[in-house]
Amino acid sequence: MKTVINEENRRNFVSLVESMLHDKLSKCYQCGKCSAGCPVNFEMDYTPNQIIKMTELGMEDAVLNSKTIWLCVSCNTCSTRCPKGFEVTGIMDVLREIAEKKDIISKVEKEVQVFHEVFLDNVKSNGRIFELELVGKYKLKTRRLFRDMFLAPKMFEKGKLRISGEKISGLNQIAKIFKDFE
Amino acid sequence: MKLAYYPGCSLKGTSFEYEVSLLKILEALNIEIKEIPDWNCCGASAAHSINHDLSIALPARNLAIAEKEGYESVLAPCAACSNRLKTAHYELETDDILKKKITGSIEMPYSAGMEINNMLEFLIKIAGKDKIKSMVKRPLTGLKVAAYYGCLLVRPPKIMQFDDPENPVSMDELVGLTGAESVNYSYKTECCGAINSLSKPDVVMALTGNVLYDIKKHGADIVVVACPLCHSNLDVRQREIERKYEEKIGLPVLFITELLGLSFGIDPKDLAIEGHMVTADRVLEKIKEL
Repeated sequence: MKTVINEENRRNFVSLVESMLHDKLSKCYQCGKCSAGCPVNFEMDYTPNQIIKMTELGMEDAVLNSKTIWLCVSCNTCSTRCPKGFEVTGIMDVLREIAEKKDIISKVEKEVQVFHEVFLDNVKSNGRIFELELVGKYKLKTRRLFRDMFLAPKMFEKGKLRISGEKISGLNQIAKIFKDFE
Repeated sequence: MKLAYYPGCSLKGTSFEYEVSLLKILEALNIEIKEIPDWNCCGASAAHSINHDLSIALPARNLAIAEKEGYESVLAPCAACSNRLKTAHYELETDDILKKKITGSIEMPYSAGMEINNMLEFLIKIAGKDKIKSMVKRPLTGLKVAAYYGCLLVRPPKIMQFDDPENPVSMDELVGLTGAESVNYSYKTECCGAINSLSKPDVVMALTGNVLYDIKKHGADIVVVACPLCHSNLDVRQREIERKYEEKIGLPVLFITELLGLSFGIDPKDLAIEGHMVTADRVLEKIKEL
């Protein structure tokens, strides 16, 4: 595992993360409580406490390309239990946002990332989620056309899937919000 | 007090049963709520996962509209929506720079005076336990119910300010009011996998399987939830989990509003219970015989 190579880069990365997080990485004393309670730890390449330390060490490429940041489901168990009150869930949001802004496409967890992107596109074009369109576009983008399709007939029968979506009338306001922050 | 209602996208789609049943029981309780006009999606997990400012601005537009319409209280029955509305409210209340940026973008003021309630909070605080109890016409005596809270109703406690984050009891109390017995088990607040249902189905089935098998082991007849995402993962994926782990579960998953409705003597059809993927017929038969 490659550690610190450039002190200036390390400082820049740490200060970017801390300014977005509104919290200090040095708060974490590596007790591992976050990782012990994490429901998806069994799938991660680095545990949450490792991600915190690696960020502090400036291992930018490793954390931004990790499976962990995309596997985190933001259940907040870690932050709730952290004895130092560190924003563990928050750091995952921050690292994902930095990865997204740097156009880093996750090699191993691309589907999670694509799902978030398609979801927001759906909000942008309708103001609300139109589930059938969301699922269709997600499947086209990830080429997972047949996975979960066996659920569709019964969901239609039960009335769970609507054929048409609705658009809100304030779509121009939604467009402005996206323009301001995207 | 005028009460606003923020349904969110799921209640207009895959979790329509939640909206049908909640409107039915509020009608019975004689409580009037009004949908926030032209509400938009709160951005759910996707927005906060990759774009913080968007995750505040999207719910902020809804809160600002509600405030402009003269509401002081919003019901957000979806746990994820209530979580996002509360988070936006909290951040706007505590961060002036962010507030300026967000209200500038949505072009509406927000004084951060809104009270946001999830479904359980609304039932306990606004409807009140006494009133709910007085409405119970058909006590569900003998029915064993597992109340599943998941994550977003109680966490993070700093922002949700609701119940105990490790051992919540509010939904169990509501179950108790119906005359049913609430079952104690270990996975009350373990995550169901939430938004990764479509992108990481195997992980989601592992998590949801843990919850369902633990509930089964503790002898519950049904599960009740107050979140459309929990409902989807526990109900829609249940057959697949049974096939994957080669062990029958057969647990109907009801919204807490449906359970209350049944105890009020409302016809199951009017509560849209037949909209669930796992049939509740056997339990409904059992209730009829009570």
